[in-house]
Amino acid sequence: MLEYVLAKYNYWIYVVLMMIGLYAMMGKRNLVKKLIGMNIFQTSIILLFVSMGVKKGGATVPILMGDGHGHGEQIIQVADYLNPLPHVLMLTAIVVSIATTGVALATLILIYKRYHTLEEDEIMAIRKEAAAYKTLGT
Amino acid sequence: MKIWFKWISLIAVIMTGALLIYGTHDMPAWGDPNSPANSHVSPRYILEATKLTATPNIVSAVLADYRSYDTLGESAVIFTASISCLFLLRRIRKEKTSEDK
Repeated sequence: MLEYVLAKYNYWIYVVLMMIGLYAMMGKRNLVKKLIGMNIFQTSIILLFVSMGVKKGGATVPILMGDGHGHGEQIIQVADYLNPLPHVLMLTAIVVSIATTGVALATLILIYKRYHTLEEDEIMAIRKEAAAYKTLGT
Repeated sequence: MKIWFKWISLIAVIMTGALLIYGTHDMPAWGDPNSPANSHVSPRYILEATKLTATPNIVSAVLADYRSYDTLGESAVIFTASISCLFLLRRIRKEKTSEDK
């Protein structure tokens, strides 16, 4: 039982992080809190993928000795180096998450400029009021 | 937002989390050197990347050499994000200057 927990507990941590992010996206009213929830969600997925590349038993980062031209090279053992592919893919995912966060923050600045609030229900109330005023005017 | 919506979202989140924790039963153990992710494609990269690309760092070899078109598209994503931020935030400054005048 303890062995099973030790083999799987990292996935459970990421599932809990993902639940926190998903609840923040769905249940919170403040738009900044929703954005932070989305960031937590993305971070949990990045951690999940990076943890897939881990090899236990003395593996190090995937930087080899030597320069590829036959100088200072050693015999390469696959078990000595971590899996480089999840690291590469998560570099791409980090870039995409930075881009989405930046655009979302710029949009939030515009929303605050227009409605002077970032609470979702207050914005919906203002919009409903404005629509009712429009129909009354015509 | 009504209070029942928070409870419904909490129930949905807990159900999703329970489903995912049930799904981890089939995942390989943490740090297993013989897991599927570590044993099919990545040994070839570790063994041959330095010979083929003359780069000691395998991550940068894969990022900038094997998957360089992916990195090119990534820079297009960054460019699009920065341009859209520029357009979104430029309008505010214009309004401000017109108010100042």
